Amino acid sequence: MPALVGPSPYIYVGTRLRVRKAKLIPRDEYIRLLNMGLPEITRSIQETTYKREIDELSTAFSGIDLIEVALSWNLAKEYQKLLEILPGPLQHLTSSYLRRWDIQNVLTILRGKDQGLPAGRIKEVLVPAGELDRAFQDRLLAEDSPAKIVDLLKGWRLYPVLAREFEEAAESGWFARLENELYKQFYADVIADARGVKKGRAFIDYVQLEIDIRNLQNLFRLRAQHERGEVMEFMVPGGSFSVEELQHIYDIEDLDAFIDALMERVTERKLLAVLEDLKKEGALKERSLQEKEIALTRVKLAEMERMTKMHPFSIWPILAYLELKKFEVFNLRAITRGKESKLPPERIRGYLVM
Amino acid sequence: MALRDVKPTRSELINLKRKIKLSERGYNILKMKRDGLILEFFKVLGEAKNSRGDLMEKYEHASEMIALLNTLEGTINIKAAAFSVKATPTIDLKSKNIMGVVVPEIEAASVRKGITDRGYGLIGTSPALDETATAYEELVESVIRSAEIETTMKKLLDEIESTKRRVNALEFKVIPELSEARDFIKMRLDEMEREELFRLKKIKARTSV
Repeated sequence: MPALVGPSPYIYVGTRLRVRKAKLIPRDEYIRLLNMGLPEITRSIQETTYKREIDELSTAFSGIDLIEVALSWNLAKEYQKLLEILPGPLQHLTSSYLRRWDIQNVLTILRGKDQGLPAGRIKEVLVPAGELDRAFQDRLLAEDSPAKIVDLLKGWRLYPVLAREFEEAAESGWFARLENELYKQFYADVIADARGVKKGRAFIDYVQLEIDIRNLQNLFRLRAQHERGEVMEFMVPGGSFSVEELQHIYDIEDLDAFIDALMERVTERKLLAVLEDLKKEGALKERSLQEKEIALTRVKLAEMERMTKMHPFSIWPILAYLELKKFEVFNLRAITRGKESKLPPERIRGYLVM
Repeated sequence: MALRDVKPTRSELINLKRKIKLSERGYNILKMKRDGLILEFFKVLGEAKNSRGDLMEKYEHASEMIALLNTLEGTINIKAAAFSVKATPTIDLKSKNIMGVVVPEIEAASVRKGITDRGYGLIGTSPALDETATAYEELVESVIRSAEIETTMKKLLDEIESTKRRVNALEFKVIPELSEARDFIKMRLDEMEREELFRLKKIKARTSV
């Protein structure tokens, strides 16, 4: 992987991304959409950058499904285009960061094939936003057995994990462990790749925060479902807690003592505030966890924006753009699906990441 | 039973008396069965009301959760997560007897699963998915429970209806008709006896002249 020499590649990418960022839907537009009816929202979305995908897919899908699939296709296309314009190490790190989409797609294909579903049904739920593009996914879908799909993935970065865990998963028909292991390796790879880029250290801190949030969230999820025993296999290493520490904290039965133990170790201010809130509420309600998760996502995005302004010629503008685009799709989907389900606008607004 | 078909004989009278006794015994037993079934029905009705209320509550909660999950994750992610569920719940159908009525007893296995047994990984999914899955598992359990209770209720109702018809037939048709026939035979036999007596007297009078 050739190292980037001088600031010019960063300036080039930064400029291209500023243009793309300007095309993203502004906050006021979301507020306007929230006050519209479903047909008006659909028409408004058709008038934006999503028009081409909506036109392309209108023969295969209709209604809200068309909007949702078009949003996903646009996201995938945008990410693929971004990968094309990025030079050397930046492209490498971005590919690494986008590999979570590949994990989701590969697992969907494996599970779908394992259940004997037709390729068309599996394809409907794929979002080729990672390095495995649509053409490669079609090749995977053309295979008739999960084992052959795994063979085709031999050159993939996460293939060693797949090769190690697949046999057991295929025998039991239970892919959860494989999924968890792939995500663990994904985070490990992102951290390893971030070491070679400008302001990579700050990015590693960001990924570690994400890992911490994911681990804490899973601890709460497991507690809420009264699962006892070994939880280390569900925890992602690489964050500020070791998996052994997380297991030790998880074993604390009293809720207050459990949250106190977490608070003792958490240094991130906003994360600490969320834990304090949870302690005040005195209950592990999933919905409150979701709302807290969205609050944390907003904090993460604000942090990204701040870092982008501080380091305009680094990895940050790329990652900030990736996340902003992802949450644009998330918000539009939330508004359309929320309206379809007749959720009140104030409630939908609570779930938007603006 | 038309009276003209009744043979006014002593043996027929004995036969009819036996039939009336049997019908009255049957009537009393069926009446007791009907009352017992009604009592059982009211017991099941209370349970059915609760289970229907519970079912509606669970259905509303599950609908709300899927709406929320649709909003947060979109159908694409929900479908992808659904691919991970391979085990289907199994239902064990047995039967039990309530006063001669065979009602189903449904036992479901592997409906409710733990978060780690559902087949999806924890690291790549959200808490909203857990809550929605739990809401639907509870709904399926509630549907199975309601199916058992409501089928029991329906079967009891059918049985009460047919028992009531039998009781009414015995009370208002069979027993009155048999009693009428018995009375007719009695009257006819008495009349025949009087005729015979009269005839004998006549013969005696003629022979003495």
